[in-house]
Amino acid sequence: MRPMVQGAAIWLVALVLAWSLPGALWRPIPPPPFPTHALLPAGLAVSILALAAPLLAWLGGPRLASRRSLALLEAPPDLLWAGALLACWPASWGPPGQVGWLVAFLAAALPGEVRWLSAALPGEMPFPVAWGPEVVRRARRLALARLTTRWLAARLPIWLTASLVLERLLGVPGLGMDWMDRVVGRDRVGLAAWVAALALLWLLSRPLDAEAVS
Amino acid sequence: MKWRLAFLLALALPDLPLDPFRGGLAASFWHPLGVDDLGRDALLRLLLAGARSVGFASACALLALGLALFLAWHGRRWRGALSALRSLPPVLFLLPLAAAAGGIGATALLLLLGLLLAPHLEPPLRVKLDAFRQSPAWAAERTLGATPASTLRRWAPWGLAQAAVLFPSAWLGALWGEATLSTLGLGPGPDHDSLGRLLLEHLPRLATDPSPLGWGALILVLALAWSASGSASPKCE
Repeated sequence: MRPMVQGAAIWLVALVLAWSLPGALWRPIPPPPFPTHALLPAGLAVSILALAAPLLAWLGGPRLASRRSLALLEAPPDLLWAGALLACWPASWGPPGQVGWLVAFLAAALPGEVRWLSAALPGEMPFPVAWGPEVVRRARRLALARLTTRWLAARLPIWLTASLVLERLLGVPGLGMDWMDRVVGRDRVGLAAWVAALALLWLLSRPLDAEAVS
Repeated sequence: MKWRLAFLLALALPDLPLDPFRGGLAASFWHPLGVDDLGRDALLRLLLAGARSVGFASACALLALGLALFLAWHGRRWRGALSALRSLPPVLFLLPLAAAAGGIGATALLLLLGLLLAPHLEPPLRVKLDAFRQSPAWAAERTLGATPASTLRRWAPWGLAQAAVLFPSAWLGALWGEATLSTLGLGPGPDHDSLGRLLLEHLPRLATDPSPLGWGALILVLALAWSASGSASPKCE
């Protein structure tokens, strides 16, 4: 109970800081509108990630976590994927836009998430391997079903960071930029809403944290 | 770990001399990657920027690991607070802060990155230190009345060896944190030349006006990422 109270206190302090964010704009402007146009691409990206990563982890199992090729794909930072996309994108096609952002986002996030989920799967030697492939598949499915909600809650802030970096580099306004714009524009209400959303994600990912410690 | 720490010396290297009247030269025998707009040899600049980025990340990782060791040893009571701090990725916190402040200086960035990375390194260190705390060796030390100084002398090398295993993860977190901020134009100013700074200058025109310096910076980023991919655990974004 005590760790929960401490964490809640930290988020409360963050909320108070967001509400009383110091500084003011030289020329006050209304807060930027919420980028509702970015909800669909963001939802699509998260949906693809939420389906593809568990599916690949289910197919590959815990062995994927130690696969060298996956580690090499996971290693580069988000900015490298955006840089490579910018360098290879034909100028005649116009700016990369949402499609480019989606491609770069999936390239940056998918290998790491597959590896993360594979590493979280329980070992399979000698059991359930000894009981046959069907039991192995079922064990993986049950473990992933138990993990998925908390994995999403724990990883969403990481994806928001990746999204923010890619949006800034590719010039595509989205949810990551919104978080940043509210700080820069001193929109205290909007920022407090963001902090509350991040606190909620922390709350949803808590059991995962507790299991990792034990 | 040792080769990364050697790059700390690069932080003390002087800047390359500027010669704007000789800028923008194409690649030649004496300048294999050409000369940048301000007259600096592109290959030398790439090597210096890479070395400084690695040195900066090493300094940051050392600070983060020192703090993480302290938290792992003394921060058991603050487990909940540390968990909340871990849930916010360092770059997600630093980018708006830098944008609101109009950029972050190199020293401030080093301290902030060290502070923000430490809670991420604390859990694996705590697991190792807890195993030691529950061991008969630790109980014997306490029963026989060893002084804190003698305990520290005997066990510090072991503690440092445990922390050193996490060095590549901390190093990658610091390297990408600084590179991301600099690439987005929110890192330290032009006096702190780094890989991120090179990418900031060359990425926007890489497709239309491909410069060897821009491609070189991208390849160096990839090489550094792969150099630690075998030893680093999950990214500390």
